[in-house]
Amino acid sequence: MKKNKYLLLLSSLVTLVLLAAAAIEENFFREWRRIQRSARSDSGIAALQLRQIVNPSLKVADRCVSCHLGMAPGESLVRGADVLRPHKPVVHDPSEFGCTICHGGQGQATFKEDAHGQVEFWPEPMLPREMSWAGCGSCHVALGVPSQTTLRRAELAFERLDCYACHRVDSRGGTIRPDRGGMEGPDLSFTGLRGWDGAWHEKHAKKAASEGGAWRKSFSPVSEEDQRLLEVFLRTRVGASSLVRAKSVFLSAGCLGCHRVNGVGGDDGPELNAAGLKDPGRLIFAGVPGGRQVSAWMAEHLRSPVSVVAGSLMPPVLLPEEDIRQLTFFTMSLRARELPDRYLPRDRVRAVRFGEREFSTDGETLYGAFCAGCHGSDGMGRRLPGLISFPSVAHPDFLAIAPEELMQRTIEEGRPGRRMPGWLKPEGLRPEEIRTVVAHLRRLGGVAPEPDPRPRRWVSSDVELGRRLFESYCRGCHGPEGRGGEGPALNNKVLLAGATDTYLVETIRRGRRGTAMGGFAEPTPVRPALSQAEIEAIVSFLRSLEGGSS
Amino acid sequence: MPAIGTKDALTEFRENLRAAPKRILETAFRTGLPTTDRSRSTFVFGNVFLHLHSVRTHRWSLRWLTTAGLGIATLAAFLITLVTGVLLMFYYKPYPEVAYQSIKDIHFVVPTGRFIRNLHRWAANVMVVTVILHMARVFYTAAYRRPREYNWLIGIALLVVTLALSFTGYLLPWDQLAYWAITIGANIAQSPREVTDALGITEWFDPGGLQRLLLLGSDTVGEEALIRFYLLHVMLLPLVLAALLAVHFWRVRKDGGLARPDDADDILARERREETYPVFTEQPQKTYHLAAIVRGRTPAVGRGPENTVPSMPHLFYAEFGVLMLTVAVCLLLSLLWDAPLKELANPNVPENPAKAPWYFLGLQEMVSFSAFMGGIGVPTIVLIGLGLIPYLDREAEGTGRWFGGPGGWPLVRLSLLFGFAAALGVEAFAIRFGWLREWFPNIHQLAITVFNPGTVLTALYAAFSIWAMKRHNSTRAGALALFTCFLCGFTVLTVIGTYFRGPNWEFFWSPADWPGH
Repeated sequence: MKKNKYLLLLSSLVTLVLLAAAAIEENFFREWRRIQRSARSDSGIAALQLRQIVNPSLKVADRCVSCHLGMAPGESLVRGADVLRPHKPVVHDPSEFGCTICHGGQGQATFKEDAHGQVEFWPEPMLPREMSWAGCGSCHVALGVPSQTTLRRAELAFERLDCYACHRVDSRGGTIRPDRGGMEGPDLSFTGLRGWDGAWHEKHAKKAASEGGAWRKSFSPVSEEDQRLLEVFLRTRVGASSLVRAKSVFLSAGCLGCHRVNGVGGDDGPELNAAGLKDPGRLIFAGVPGGRQVSAWMAEHLRSPVSVVAGSLMPPVLLPEEDIRQLTFFTMSLRARELPDRYLPRDRVRAVRFGEREFSTDGETLYGAFCAGCHGSDGMGRRLPGLISFPSVAHPDFLAIAPEELMQRTIEEGRPGRRMPGWLKPEGLRPEEIRTVVAHLRRLGGVAPEPDPRPRRWVSSDVELGRRLFESYCRGCHGPEGRGGEGPALNNKVLLAGATDTYLVETIRRGRRGTAMGGFAEPTPVRPALSQAEIEAIVSFLRSLEGGSS
Repeated sequence: MPAIGTKDALTEFRENLRAAPKRILETAFRTGLPTTDRSRSTFVFGNVFLHLHSVRTHRWSLRWLTTAGLGIATLAAFLITLVTGVLLMFYYKPYPEVAYQSIKDIHFVVPTGRFIRNLHRWAANVMVVTVILHMARVFYTAAYRRPREYNWLIGIALLVVTLALSFTGYLLPWDQLAYWAITIGANIAQSPREVTDALGITEWFDPGGLQRLLLLGSDTVGEEALIRFYLLHVMLLPLVLAALLAVHFWRVRKDGGLARPDDADDILARERREETYPVFTEQPQKTYHLAAIVRGRTPAVGRGPENTVPSMPHLFYAEFGVLMLTVAVCLLLSLLWDAPLKELANPNVPENPAKAPWYFLGLQEMVSFSAFMGGIGVPTIVLIGLGLIPYLDREAEGTGRWFGGPGGWPLVRLSLLFGFAAALGVEAFAIRFGWLREWFPNIHQLAITVFNPGTVLTALYAAFSIWAMKRHNSTRAGALALFTCFLCGFTVLTVIGTYFRGPNWEFFWSPADWPGH
């Protein structure tokens, strides 16, 4: 019977020990307690306690400041370990916005791993430090961002014209003039948000003329072209230049051709509004070098989509590693949240509610954003493994004979049956934007259309002869009845409606250099040359397909 | 001022004040401090909480092998969930999303909140385990027999309420795990539709849909379901459980204490006795005229007081020992492993595989073959079968003895072998070769409802048990075989459901082989 007595004694002792262990763990070994104990300050540290920033309308309850004590509202001049450092000066007051809105992570947590979100079952880990700026994408949308080359040129222009001498931009440049109580020129970091004086050039010139001295020596009139570039520079200063740069890479790689962002873009790939909020718990990291970081997954996914997502239809992004990094960075910034109206920033309202463009609407940017993914950034087409080759739309041979209407119409309505979608739709391009793209293609090819005095339809010839010729010479590539094969389908309604007879005849006659389509005016070892009459017969046959299937 | 009584009132007040603590103790214990066996006995008898015990306890009941303390362990686990549960209610807010945030707050900010939630979770799991083990103990020691049949039924009810409590608690954190587990559970409740659909009468007669609607309060798991589960979890079910517990304990005493073999005294005499206790020699003060009007047997009538010891302190040492041991085990588990909390529930992102709580994974495994049979049919058969055991087995041989009765341990061993082999065999066949639907895509659903791995296994077990009953010419032998097989089947199906089922409920040797999704 003593056994029971000892059982009670022993189990009670074990219970006491375990309770004591729990109490000690709770009261002495919590990391935030250790960190707060190590903090020193002249004014004395307030009580050892959990601290938090709460903003119900943003759904924020961030206890990060329990460890990052220097960033806690009201705590200043805390000294000690790195973790206690105050936040760098930022536009948004952390005591209102909290931490996780920008940085991600789990604000409610009070243990480091949990708080930084590096744990199972927390879908939103903290952004890596080098991608901190991606956090802006939680609320903001940078507007009117130009293509990579234009932005680069604009930045270089600002540098070349030595504007940094007087102006401060993103904590760089500027001259302090103690005698004038501040900077020589105003800080230009946020001109994209707050606007700038449109008459800056005249005012600068006037001042240089009246002030003399350093002003006269350092300022000389800026050329029209440079003025345009500086305007681009000013328009894109939103306080996050690295993010804008990354966005310009995104807008030059043709991503919008397949993916939709904020309601604009193609349908072939998934929408990317929350691509930066991918839950690492739902991603497969087997094919990803490096740690279980969403950014590492994303970068590898861009380099080789199929090796990360089995069966992905996305072609690999064949860009230099630096551009892959930029694309990853921008994708991580696509993390749009639901926001109460009070916190909806102007730029997002303008983009989402008023349909203002996130991209600059010049031809180069539009082409880069919507077309470059398939047709190549030089417009010379692309051949991707496993996919039908994409035509070279800036080919001089094509541009020389392509009627304006054909190009315009193809972009507007697409090519049914092919990958080319119609872009004239609310989530696509606007009519004037399509015209800009066509103009850009002409500029890329450097060829103006040859004047064509003939009516749109002038060929009238023997359809039966045409059919026989087509069977002999064209069917191999363009398929029976022109339904397409290795070469594009020729029975396509949009093609036939937009193409003039001259265009068809001339394409057969001259061919298209650099592609499989040879000119039939010249003989080759395997076939004779076709006469003008024979070519017209083929065109007649093609016309006869118009009424038929699509 | 003239004195009113013989004593100065003020003096009397002072003396009373001084004596108050002593008098409070006296009136509390009534019999004076329980220092002798006799005063302890009167104390137990007079205490509202302790009088559920008989005053004296047979030494057989104190042997560790008799019960292994499983009943008390279950009670202890329940008490832990009760205390920690009430503490959690201070911070828990039963509303979608807010619920999840409040669990996060309990985990990260509430002082000792994480520990208390862990404790609640672990004690709940321990309770499910010990309640099943307790049932197995009662069965294998044939302790359900006359006059304890009814208490066995109460025990089955307690098992069901325990599972219901655990299941309703599962939804409360409102994370992905909870959300999809409850979705699965609600679909199991809807499984009669499989039959009504097959008969084409769902439109007019839909008990499955009604069951699900009653459970969730709406078509999907949402705020209605959450508040419903919360109310069931913190109020209704604990009250039911407490009432059943009171009956259960009261009946233990009224049915004559713990079951023991007829030769218990001889066995105890043969065992080494560590110490001797004075037997109850004095004339008992208690009269039996009250006990005499109680129907049936009462513990002390017609039986010698030999081999009994005062319940206080001997039984209490054992009981509190087991209680503290259970507490210690739960504490240790809570210190080592946190209660799970996945991402916030997201109705648009189904978990794949979505799994019910572990104790229902055996059911879910059967549901994957046939929703109706797995979710309703077989469990009903099992519950009815369990409940009928004491009414079908009217034998006397082996009561109070482990694996007592005809067949004994060799039969249990054989049943273990058969039970595991049959369950694994049927599962292996279904996993390797598929089932009727794979071979005859157009087969009528009713055929599958009637003939599926779950029913095949049930039939195999039934056949084996009938064989055992005939072989030993004893109902008890049949029950031994059937109950053992049931435990084997439960174990095998639960383990397969827990560890070997992946996305789309397909079989995988390890989660590492799961395809990406």
